[in-house]
Amino acid sequence: IPDFGHKYYLQFSTEDYRTGENAGSCLATVLYPRKKSPPVVSIKCSHTKDQNEIQEEDNTLYQRIRQQSKPITGSNIPDSYGNIEPALEPAWALAVAGSSSIMWEKSTEDLGYFLAQVKSVKQWMRKDDFIEFDYTVLLHEMPTQEMISCHMRLTWLPGHPLREKHFCAPQNHGLEEGSGLGSGSAAGLSEERGANF
Amino acid sequence: DQVLLIVPETFQQVQHLQLLHSTLLLDLWKPLMPEDIMAGEDLHIRVPAPLVQEVKDSLDQHMISYRYSFCIFSELVDQSMPRERSSHKQVREGYVYTQYHPMEEIYQWMTQIRNNYSELVTQHFLGMTFENRPMYYLQISQPSNKPKKIIWMDCGIHAREWISPAFCQWFVKEILQNYKSDPNIRRFVQNLDLYVLPVLNIDGYIYSWKTDRLWRKNRSPYENATCYGTDLNRNFNSSWGSVGVSFDCSSDVFCGSEPESEPETRAVAQFIRSKKSDIACFLTIHSYGQLILSPYGSTTKPPSNNDELIQVGKKAAAALTGKYGTSYKVGPPSLILYNNSGSSRDWAHMIGIPLSYTFELRDNGTYGFLLPANQIQPTCEETM
Repeated sequence: IPDFGHKYYLQFSTEDYRTGENAGSCLATVLYPRKKSPPVVSIKCSHTKDQNEIQEEDNTLYQRIRQQSKPITGSNIPDSYGNIEPALEPAWALAVAGSSSIMWEKSTEDLGYFLAQVKSVKQWMRKDDFIEFDYTVLLHEMPTQEMISCHMRLTWLPGHPLREKHFCAPQNHGLEEGSGLGSGSAAGLSEERGANF
Repeated sequence: DQVLLIVPETFQQVQHLQLLHSTLLLDLWKPLMPEDIMAGEDLHIRVPAPLVQEVKDSLDQHMISYRYSFCIFSELVDQSMPRERSSHKQVREGYVYTQYHPMEEIYQWMTQIRNNYSELVTQHFLGMTFENRPMYYLQISQPSNKPKKIIWMDCGIHAREWISPAFCQWFVKEILQNYKSDPNIRRFVQNLDLYVLPVLNIDGYIYSWKTDRLWRKNRSPYENATCYGTDLNRNFNSSWGSVGVSFDCSSDVFCGSEPESEPETRAVAQFIRSKKSDIACFLTIHSYGQLILSPYGSTTKPPSNNDELIQVGKKAAAALTGKYGTSYKVGPPSLILYNNSGSSRDWAHMIGIPLSYTFELRDNGTYGFLLPANQIQPTCEETM
């Protein structure tokens, strides 16, 4: 879109994050304003599950967390061997959902993210019905391959949208974006970022 | 930035905190509204880095005590290092291929393998890593009077991609345990020589076991040892330093001081160069992403035998999907992933090896580098 940015039209299917089961399909448009995040997204999805099923699953998740007698704490989820303790799965699931908001905010046309690991989680007990967690999450940034550490505070109650606040550790290095086409036009490389060839 | 945890004791303290919040526009994490701040109740407030000192001074002046929310994590994070594995009997047929193994066990495994299958397997020295560890590859070769083409496969060029060395070990086991009974494997072994390097980036792999599970690069020091590691897959002499790299040593895609600046890169490159006219296929195994990548990463201009490369790649992807339904995409990184230069795959093709591929194994980001051990078997089976 001249003088504004790039707009993408997407059609895609979704699957359950853990089981890989088909979860529905979506139509979306993503508008990347020139070099600025976050992208503007409009999206419409059809779910394989109906509203009641989804609500029930939310409530089950919620109860699993509320029924714990002590505040949930943990670190390295999954651990080095890819294991997630069953007792920590609900906290991990919420971290996945909350991190997606951070990732959306940070992503640009050239930078994307995955959740690499939940470094630590601590639950804050509340007097009301809301669930609240503090997380340190590691986001895998592509294509820089960096691990970005973010502190995320998340609150949730079934029937309410997930709310999160976060801040991420600052990163200093960017990538050479040279127009390195064709056969080795690599003469005169500069040490600085953004060198032109 | 800091998240401060405060429990105001008096109404005056509450008022002061509300004032601080409104004048400095601080970010309330708990409660969400300043009018809900109360004596005796938790207050969590995020202070942007430049204001931290000022806020702390102000709190000290008013005798308001505080903690940092990050401090809570320090006990948790200290427990974080991979559990020390206690005793591993090194058993001959008992090696557990469905678990991840630290480097010393992999060294032992190589010795076991060459002893148990000495009619087919020899172990060869390639070079030393920066931290002075020997790099070995296994040669699986049935003696024959015909000259044979070579298939090269290396794993573990990136330290955190643990499923990759696990695959090399599995691959070797599958070939050796089945070449007598499986006609396909038998033909394979009769007609080709297999060279397998189970861990290329040994120092990095060990570092990911002992210190930082998500480390990627090798461990050579730069800038007076204030900064460590080169991305070995940006260090080869294929359009080195042109795109998708950083010249900053602290970057995870730091390409080194020059092509082949790293001993690990040199060890592999020297060997491949010496054998290049006999190598039919160069494979380098990574994770994650479920991709079969053909040359090139540094340009979209297709290699001369692109049709063949894509056709072979697609056949491989189809066979893989046929096993458990896992879907893989095929193509050059410049089209299906991201631009990068200095990769071993591109370099191998540029020096004349016709079939050169990077495999990015499971998964698609759910577990990413931390692929659970229970996925080792299906991942390896489908990739065979």
